[in-house]
Amino acid sequence: MRFPRFFGKKRGHRRTGSQAWASLGDAAFHAVLLTAGIVFAGLLLSGVAVPEWRINQHFLATDCTVLGKGLARRTTAADRGGSSTWQPCLRVRYDVAGRTMESWSTPSRSTTTSDRSRAVAALSAWKLGDVVPGWYDPSAPATVVLQRGYNWWMWLLTLLLPGALVSFGGMGLARAIRRWGRSEERCAVPSRFSDILDPLAAGPRQATDRPGVPACDDLVNSPGTVLAYRLPLESPENWTLLGFGLFAMLWNSVLAVLGVGAVIDLLKGKIDWLLLTLLVPFAAVGIAGLVLFVRRVLLTTAVGPTQLEISAQPLQPGGTYEVLLAQGGSGTLESLRLCLALDEQATFTQGTDTRTDRITVWARDIRTWRDLQLTPGARFEARESFTIPADAMHSFASEHNAVRWSIAVHGQPAGWPGFVRTFPLVVFPAEPAPERGDPRREASP
Amino acid sequence: MSTAAETFRPSPRVTVLFSHSDRNYEPLDPLEVRYEVEGLDDEPPRAVEHSVLWFTEGKGEEDLGVHFFERLVAPERLPPTAPMGQFSCRLPRSPLSYEGVVVKIRWCIRVRFFFESGRDYVSEHEFAVGQLPPAQTLIATP
Repeated sequence: MRFPRFFGKKRGHRRTGSQAWASLGDAAFHAVLLTAGIVFAGLLLSGVAVPEWRINQHFLATDCTVLGKGLARRTTAADRGGSSTWQPCLRVRYDVAGRTMESWSTPSRSTTTSDRSRAVAALSAWKLGDVVPGWYDPSAPATVVLQRGYNWWMWLLTLLLPGALVSFGGMGLARAIRRWGRSEERCAVPSRFSDILDPLAAGPRQATDRPGVPACDDLVNSPGTVLAYRLPLESPENWTLLGFGLFAMLWNSVLAVLGVGAVIDLLKGKIDWLLLTLLVPFAAVGIAGLVLFVRRVLLTTAVGPTQLEISAQPLQPGGTYEVLLAQGGSGTLESLRLCLALDEQATFTQGTDTRTDRITVWARDIRTWRDLQLTPGARFEARESFTIPADAMHSFASEHNAVRWSIAVHGQPAGWPGFVRTFPLVVFPAEPAPERGDPRREASP
Repeated sequence: MSTAAETFRPSPRVTVLFSHSDRNYEPLDPLEVRYEVEGLDDEPPRAVEHSVLWFTEGKGEEDLGVHFFERLVAPERLPPTAPMGQFSCRLPRSPLSYEGVVVKIRWCIRVRFFFESGRDYVSEHEFAVGQLPPAQTLIATP
């Protein structure tokens, strides 16, 4: 008997290893999460939520007369430090269905403190003989509370933490059970539970009746001023700018805290050489981060906005379409190039990293302009046309792979680094001819 | 192409005939497949699955889309009572077969046999949808 493999290797495009052990491990992992969620939820419900709910829903109102005041002391074991906490308590008398009861009650949990004098001071809020509202448990009248209401953050904790564990673990376990003993193909057949059990595996939204082709709803919801649609801008530059900004802010905040500490030490006449030595390279990195961020801001704002409108969307292989390019800003552009491109994108895991490779497999210049003089308030506009090749691949997007069409605007401002702004397109597969009289159709095997 | 889940038992032999002998189809074409299985010996399958699907190959993780799927469990439709099988469907509009640089899209039919012992055997046979030329590398971007 061959023992199943625990670990897999990639052999070509196939992975080795035992599917059964992988499924079992997946199911066990999610079962542990589900169990932890249920236990956690049970503890929170029985210890916090249910008692609080009973106080608010089942306890009966009464008037309590304060008879005595005291402190409840809770001391931890000596081997754990032996510390004590103090909580104010009130001895109250109240009426239960014509019967007089006396009991100790704690006014509020929040008054628990490790400082005895503060606890004693808190007791001064009540005077002996005062009548305060209270609520007693009809099934155990000796239990009386002087305060009620809901602790919302505790309820939120009760719902969120165990809820997340139960839903994540439950969905994973249900998915593992559903896949147990099933073939890869049977698991991949879409069902009404697929999106619920495995929402991440659903991949990008697809066009109706065209599997694997991305939907273009987001590309046709912005009408153009001259042509039919204004294309959205795919802007990795803005994310880079945000990244530089966040890095510069966080790094320099840490640097400022360390720097203030060092200055205070210096003012007191103390010199922490280790801190000062560390501050020098830290400051160099912080200044470099700021410089890079400011440079990025200048680059982004120095070049005016680029807009692109298109006559139709989605596109078809063999179709000819018009685009309207509008470039704002000021100064001289040494070149401005409009380019149609087809990229392939593959996402894969390498060790613990998830990497994405993008490669351009087809590109064609639509038009290039030289030495454009941009003037503020009057944007440069040009209307061009282009054709999608008749034998072109259509747009494709699945969970880890994509084939993307786009129009890129490459600009080279005078004295500034160049920029690329990309506008995504969706190309549908060519519509098949309704009846071609293909003799192969009649061929039998 | 046929692959066996386990190699220590003799693998069945599956002969497949496509309705287009060149295995080239266009979107929305009807696809008809007949197959014959031999070499099951004394281990009859308890179920057979037929599927028509596309999958990706290349640098990225494999993605899979099942267009047609059926599972046969009735003994009268399984070998050895029925040594020949067939199934048919109309192909979708997309995706087209594509020979890219880092992304490739392949179409295939799979016939998968499940045996009483718990093992399974899958026979995979590729075909093409559409007639796109292969892509070429132009520019590599980091």
